[in-house]
Amino acid sequence: MVKIMKSANYFGWHPGPFPQINWAPYHKILTNRTVTVCLMILGVMVMLSFLAPLITPYDPNAIDLKSSLQSPSVDHPLGTDHLGRDVLSRLLYGAKTSFLISLSVVVFALSLGIILGGAAGYFGGLADEILSRVIDIFLSFPGIIFALALIGALGSSVLNLIIALGLVHWASYARLMRGQVLSVKNNDYVSSARVIGASDRRILIKHILPNALAPVIVLATLDMGHVILSAAALSFLGLGIPPSVPEWGSMLNAGKEFMRTAPYLTIFPGLALTITVVLFSLLGDGFREILDPESEVMGLGAA
Amino acid sequence: MFHYLLKRLAFMGLTILAVSGLTFFLMNIIPGGTAELILKHTVLELEEIPTSEQIAEISSQYNLHDPLYIQFGRWLADALHGDLGSSYILKKPVTYLLLLRLPATIYLALASMTIAIALGVPLGVICAVKENKFTDYLLRIVTLVGVSMPGFWLALLLILLFSVTLKLVPVAGYGGIKYLILPAIALSMHTMAVTLRMVRTGMLEVMNQPYIAFATSKGLPPRYIIIKHALKNALLPTLTVLGLSLGYMLGGAVVIETIFAWPGVGSLLVDAITARDIPLVQGCVLTIVGIFVTINLFVDLIYTYVDPRIRYG
Amino acid sequence: MALLEVSHLDVGFNTQLGSVQAVNDVSFQIKKGETLGLIGESGSGKSVIGMSLLRLLPMNACVKGEAFFEGKDLLTMKEKDLQKIRGERISFIPQNPTASLNPLLKNGLQVSEVFERKGHSKENSWKSALKVMERLMIRDPGLSAKKYPHQLSGGMRQRLVAGIALSLQPELVIADEPTKGLDSLTRGKTIEFFKHLEGDEDRAMLLITHDLDLAYEICDRLAVLYAGEIVEMGPAGELMDLPSHPYTRGLIKSLPKNGLIPLEGRSPSLLELPGGCYFGERCCHHKKECSCKHPQLKNSGAWQTRCHLN
Ligand SMILES: Nc1ncnc2c1ncn2[C@@H]1O[C@H](COP(=O)(O)OP(=O)(O)OP(=O)(O)O)[C@@H](O)[C@H]1O
Ligand SMILES: [Mg+2]
Repeated sequence: MVKIMKSANYFGWHPGPFPQINWAPYHKILTNRTVTVCLMILGVMVMLSFLAPLITPYDPNAIDLKSSLQSPSVDHPLGTDHLGRDVLSRLLYGAKTSFLISLSVVVFALSLGIILGGAAGYFGGLADEILSRVIDIFLSFPGIIFALALIGALGSSVLNLIIALGLVHWASYARLMRGQVLSVKNNDYVSSARVIGASDRRILIKHILPNALAPVIVLATLDMGHVILSAAALSFLGLGIPPSVPEWGSMLNAGKEFMRTAPYLTIFPGLALTITVVLFSLLGDGFREILDPESEVMGLGAA
Repeated sequence: MFHYLLKRLAFMGLTILAVSGLTFFLMNIIPGGTAELILKHTVLELEEIPTSEQIAEISSQYNLHDPLYIQFGRWLADALHGDLGSSYILKKPVTYLLLLRLPATIYLALASMTIAIALGVPLGVICAVKENKFTDYLLRIVTLVGVSMPGFWLALLLILLFSVTLKLVPVAGYGGIKYLILPAIALSMHTMAVTLRMVRTGMLEVMNQPYIAFATSKGLPPRYIIIKHALKNALLPTLTVLGLSLGYMLGGAVVIETIFAWPGVGSLLVDAITARDIPLVQGCVLTIVGIFVTINLFVDLIYTYVDPRIRYG
Repeated sequence: MALLEVSHLDVGFNTQLGSVQAVNDVSFQIKKGETLGLIGESGSGKSVIGMSLLRLLPMNACVKGEAFFEGKDLLTMKEKDLQKIRGERISFIPQNPTASLNPLLKNGLQVSEVFERKGHSKENSWKSALKVMERLMIRDPGLSAKKYPHQLSGGMRQRLVAGIALSLQPELVIADEPTKGLDSLTRGKTIEFFKHLEGDEDRAMLLITHDLDLAYEICDRLAVLYAGEIVEMGPAGELMDLPSHPYTRGLIKSLPKNGLIPLEGRSPSLLELPGGCYFGERCCHHKKECSCKHPQLKNSGAWQTRCHLN
């Protein structure tokens, strides 16, 4: 029995006075209708994009110049592009590209933000002073411009795109994380852990992180829409994703040359992009309304 | 006040310094890369691979052997004298190119801001006054789409409708108001939507304040109360957001200018990035960030002017 | 005929937690020149009554009943007609002067706009505004008028708000705690001011206050409010000397000069009012009848009480 208690404790489970994460607001999220519907639609979209090979008979990269620029038909519901590739297939595969890239960006930015923001909040003093100043600087100029400069410096590739967008987004997570850690740090149970003589690392990992993390992760999820938009804008400019990889932004870029003859090449990828971001915006509005009813809802972030 | 201004200016300088330092180091991070790039743009043919002698020669010519921080120091000293180096592709001083392109960007940004404010503020007020009525719902949906829709897609749709199909305005180019309309609308959409949202929430909050009830109890007409008492208060938070969304707008301008072949700093930046023309990229980034922080300083100053309660020590 | 005749006034607020019944079946009259005091503990619905008469409540309020002012119902008349009554014939002194002054507009303008609206020129309005401020013993009115509300002291703001409300010499003033937060000296002056105001033959007042001494001094009649309903109403002097409702007695006992004996317990939740007497649980004369039957207001002459015991 004693042994079980110990191991339970080892994994950060506290039977005693340590507060658990307050799940009440997150429970409310799932009972909110808008949020649930958005989550469901997004879930279906993700599923479709990953099941694309099963849904569509076409290879998104199969070039077939004989059937280029065909209008939507039974064979090709959304038409074909200038190289004869099936637009529907490319849209579905493109969704996967968008989701994966945004996810990588968010994970990268989140790790950076959590580590640096957490360190700033936890250690305080000079480290906090310097890190806060750096965060301020990163938040004080337009992110997309910085991302452009980075890609200009590093060259355009998928990896560089992810690095650039990650470096643009980390600062807001870091700021939130810092604030969270500060507020958690001053709680009684952390001070009592310190009195007991727990080490810095232990306190940080066992007591502070679990409580500070939740809102930061919610914020990051909500940022997905912005990240998808930024990534699409960059690949629309031909920076980042090579033209062969199906992606909505680069599809728009290629399609705009054929606006006169094949306007559907301009319409469908943009529509997919807009619908996805609208869903994320709605999700974000719903979350914020639930978590912080006082705050006014507004969607603003790097392009 | 003076103290505060000084602090703000110092932070502004720090930001610009950090941005230029960061970009400078990143751009020169690949050893020998710069020399190779210069060679590619000057003597080398397409597909030709530079020899190590050529690289060595260019490196000593451009002092590329020095440690990066010394190079940066030199660049900074020149920059303070208004010399941002010379473009590899266009073979002209960067400062000259920027000055050539800046007016077009300012023209476009001003037009877009004007549209965003001229539409966003009144529509936001209408939304608040008609809260939860049909107009409100309609405008809220428009706003949601406006915030989420990529500006470049809107631009393409506008071209498709007004240039290609209706042939009302030219597809792209620079010139009179005919050329300005589509890019300005495309660029303003997001800021307009954000402004509308801010004004709406601001108005709704302000309309519940006791001073509005008291103003009503004085027998003042509703129109007067909205304009004189509520709007000014509701616009305060909007002002800050407007300053920030200018950053978004400048970012969007990069894409919009490219689509419409608008000869501004944004399209110059894209050209520079595609060609990896490092001095030019740096110059463009610096200019855009500079505009952004300066405008936000002004927004802060306007804020202190509009809100008498704020007087910075 | 009474100047203001309120009958069966009900006010509810739709909130996320449910409907808050803030005012329940309130009826009273105010004659020309008469001062009616409205007393009761915090949250009993005094301010809500005052604001509902001029339709100043937020959108989530649901107001029922009638409030006849010179034969016309304030609660149902057109917004345009009410606008002519507000400020000019009935005016309102809000409870929170700091929040009731617009932080971004100069003090002078907040006074002069009242005159401007009546069609006076800008200059004349400004002059009238200065006169109003001078009458309110605001030092150096010319200078104060050019300042912003946050630059005035709390007491000055209080007087400014009162001055704005009185500037058009309305026939009825709804004053919500006009002496709150004033030191005893200024409070004395304000009472003087109100007495003077009362001296005007045809000016009536609905005085909402926690200050029972002030109410005793200047009110003709008093209405005691509990959980949104009137539990006792009668001539001010007699009611204070010989209160008949247990709540009124408790209220008077809790005055400092009577030994500061606080009332035990709390008023019921307005979300879910009890079935019997609202005061039942806190009443020391509690009977069985009190918790099952809601008492009605009983008239005895000029006196009304809502209690099973009398
Ligand atoms: N906008 C509103 N929404 C919901 N409930 C409200 C609103 N305004 C007032 N109430 C409720 O109405 C009740 C009466 O409020 P009111 O302001 O009239 O009290 P009061 O008697 O003036 O108290 P005090 O002496 O503290 O001023 C309170 O319980 C309050 O919670
Ligand atoms: Mg009150």
